[in-house]
Amino acid sequence: MAAKPTLGSELRELYAAESERIRKDFASTRNGRTAVHRRTALVESIALRLWKELISPKAEGPPDFSLIALGGFGRRWLFPYSDIDILFLHAGGDTEAQFKDAIRNFSQELWDLRLKLSPATRMFSECERFDPSNVEFAISLLDCRYLAGDEALFARLREQLIPRLVARESRPIVQRLADLTRTRYNKFGNSVFHLEPNVKYGHGGLRDYNVACWLALISAIEEQGGWPPEGSLLPPSLSNQFDAALDFLMSVRCFLHFRHSKDDNTLAWEAQDEAAALSIGAPASNPMTPSDWMRIYFGHARLIHRVATQLLDEFPAARPSLYRQFQNLRSRLSNAEFSVVDGRIFLQREESLRDPGLPLRTFRFLARHGLALSSSTEHQMQELLPALAQSPPSGAEVSHYLQEILLAPHAAEALRAMHSLGLLTLLLPELAGIDSLVVRDYSHRFTVDEHTFVAIENLHLLRQSQSKWDVRYAELLDEIEQPELLYLALLLHDTGKGAKSDSHVQASVEIAARCLDRLEIDAPDRETVLFLIGRHLEMSASLRRDILDPATLRQLADKVGTPERLKMLCLLTYADIKAVNPEALTPWKAENIWQLYIGAANYMIRTVDERVHASGDDEVLAHLRTLAPAAGKKLEVFLEGLPRRYLITQTASDVLGHMEMASLLADDPVQLDLTRGRQWYQLTVVTLDRPFLFAKIAGTLAAWGMNIVKAAAFSNRAGTVVDEFFFTDRFRTLELNLPEWERFKASIRDVLLDKADLDRMLQDRLRSDRNAAPKVKVETQIEIDDECSPQSTLFEVITQDQPGLLYRISSQFSRENCNIEIALIETEGQTAIDVFYLTSAGAKLTPEHQARIRSVLLEELARN
Amino acid sequence: MTKVEAIIQTSKLDAVKDALHEIGVEGMTVLEARGHGRQKGHTEFYRGREYTVDLIPKLKIEMVLRDDMVEKTVGTIMNAARTGKIGDGKIFLTKIEDAIRIRNDERGDSAL
Repeated sequence: MAAKPTLGSELRELYAAESERIRKDFASTRNGRTAVHRRTALVESIALRLWKELISPKAEGPPDFSLIALGGFGRRWLFPYSDIDILFLHAGGDTEAQFKDAIRNFSQELWDLRLKLSPATRMFSECERFDPSNVEFAISLLDCRYLAGDEALFARLREQLIPRLVARESRPIVQRLADLTRTRYNKFGNSVFHLEPNVKYGHGGLRDYNVACWLALISAIEEQGGWPPEGSLLPPSLSNQFDAALDFLMSVRCFLHFRHSKDDNTLAWEAQDEAAALSIGAPASNPMTPSDWMRIYFGHARLIHRVATQLLDEFPAARPSLYRQFQNLRSRLSNAEFSVVDGRIFLQREESLRDPGLPLRTFRFLARHGLALSSSTEHQMQELLPALAQSPPSGAEVSHYLQEILLAPHAAEALRAMHSLGLLTLLLPELAGIDSLVVRDYSHRFTVDEHTFVAIENLHLLRQSQSKWDVRYAELLDEIEQPELLYLALLLHDTGKGAKSDSHVQASVEIAARCLDRLEIDAPDRETVLFLIGRHLEMSASLRRDILDPATLRQLADKVGTPERLKMLCLLTYADIKAVNPEALTPWKAENIWQLYIGAANYMIRTVDERVHASGDDEVLAHLRTLAPAAGKKLEVFLEGLPRRYLITQTASDVLGHMEMASLLADDPVQLDLTRGRQWYQLTVVTLDRPFLFAKIAGTLAAWGMNIVKAAAFSNRAGTVVDEFFFTDRFRTLELNLPEWERFKASIRDVLLDKADLDRMLQDRLRSDRNAAPKVKVETQIEIDDECSPQSTLFEVITQDQPGLLYRISSQFSRENCNIEIALIETEGQTAIDVFYLTSAGAKLTPEHQARIRSVLLEELARN
Repeated sequence: MTKVEAIIQTSKLDAVKDALHEIGVEGMTVLEARGHGRQKGHTEFYRGREYTVDLIPKLKIEMVLRDDMVEKTVGTIMNAARTGKIGDGKIFLTKIEDAIRIRNDERGDSAL
């Protein structure tokens, strides 16, 4: 009886002294693998000593009773403060009762050493019963290791029982393991790229490493009917990288345990500073900044996470049956180039690997369908990279694929996969600076690259969300004319964070400019993307002001310029804030951004007729004068009195083109320009103002079956009008018949010069079109604002879009002797949103006149 | 000890924070809030829909202070947050019985 305290104190001294030696040795060597092996050996030696003292003087006795190390102890992975899992295994009968006190004393001694012991006592046959609520036990058996007692009993467990159990229950074991992994991922934020990751449970942490090994082991036991030979079960090309990643993570976790004096695995910023200064896990001669050191961490974590999730996905049992059914449905996506099995992409033909365009097509396929690469395809892609790096695709080819990927619903997944393989930075070296970059901002949760992907993901997810604000912003996203530019801006908006610059925004603009040049993006698109990047903090800054104050709205509207850019900036702000961390975009902020947006949008419409004075010292005017120094007076006459909105919405070359058209009016009173854009045809008419002008053009387009989606009308002081119409060709008349272009233009000219009968042209068309029932019913609303402009009265008409609508509305204005000073026409789905600035006899409309027009318009629009 | 709760305009947060920092008040909780007193909301039309802002965005800052710091703090907030217009906000003061620092059990003024 007197021996116990002596044993306890002896063991305490041994444990304390050896633990201190391990700690000191780790401080000098920083070798985590050695430290965990030594602690395992230390605990094992104490356990064996207790076994001899309390259970059996012979290590291999007694019969029918064994001491087995499980989990991390079984793997020889005892970190300085990690739990110790042991199993007292007995064959049954009265063995458990016989050793009950000994087991309690054994455990008590270890607890007295302040070890976190988790003992389990099981009868042999109990181990074979799979308990779905305690899958952890079944999994811990995979790491079982004999310590003491009946070796034959242990051998039966390991060589017979466990293979039988795994073969029989592999499906539920793997399914539960997958569930646990998904729950863990949700808890740790679903990203490798946390600024303060958990090195055990986080994505790409040690638990992921274990999951990968367990899955490989279960698979091997299933296939071979028994334990596979010792050694890595992963392909040799991967196992070396995997080993290096494990060495690194082991050292980091040891470092954290010693630093915190407990099982705390959070790699917080202060810990990152110390780890980087000590080069934990990296060559000691290599002094590193915390950012550089974290890049090494993320590199290892990314690899481990990728392998673990790949193995999970490729294990059919890892997914619920509904998910598998869905994946099987997706196998119908297979085509001549790719086959899809269980949601993974495989290449159909080896010879396609010789095609340098293959990687981009593969990731476009992934982005469209939300699939993942199979490990074989990923390996094939990796093999392609060195050759691709020799002559990377560039210019329009990359731009084309990149924009298609960005627009696809699973763009973020594709970008992450490309980034993980190194393809993204190969194609866009501008992103290398933000690769795994930690920027310490207390509100940010992710590295800069991951923040970028999350922001892109946020925009795509808008359309699937049911939340009030997401639905509202999703509607706005659907209105964007070139969403690819918005996504491109998001992709590049924080690239400057990787540069040594006082202003990351300015640095991002400079980096993005180089990137867009290389991608051969058209000048106007380039300008839009750079604008969005350069102003990406503008709305956030405005949120810190009084968003209901007209001065705030005016400032924002002036900086942004056009409604289209305002929409894009609003969405970029929304996605950017939401990507900071999952709680960053509170309903309070979402509502404020929306209020700021609609306030600024309304401000733009209400102030659209501020006029240009050509003699002014405006920046845009100065730029125009520089571009056309010889134009002199001609330019001034053309610009004088045009709405400022005209200058904001037109490029300099457009303005100069319109000026040239205006100068030819003496020879030909109707100047026309018809072009075909990516989405729409664009017709520009420059002529002298006359009654029914806008209505006649709109009517002619309607008579030809064209669907007007946008239009604008501007006039200068000299009475020269620039009318622009953007339309789709419903019957593909222009697309299929090139000679029709000239006949179409001639038809417009004839109508404007009263040489053709528009009413007759319209009759047949409108009669046949009226038979088509609208899909959505839109109530007509007419808003009149007599105060927003000093010289005009604003009519905003929101109504059901229908063929000939603009002609009918504008004809009513003309019949009422109104002059359309400015028209801003937009169509969103089935809704027409038309804004007109009207004058009558050069002045605002009287209240009686306004009321009469409202009445005739309502009457006209009710007639369908 | 006194709890100071101030409802201020969103645009005044930086000014108030800086001014409090100047007098040595650094700890505070900032909460997003909406509300109105005499300053009523307004209605905005967009795309034919009516958006009524009857609760105006505000920020609420909270801090618990030693009693000898309260008047100075209140004066500082008033100076920094005031524009002289309706909607500048309000300050509320409440007596606090005790404060406890969870980390080390400190109580009273030393826990602040």
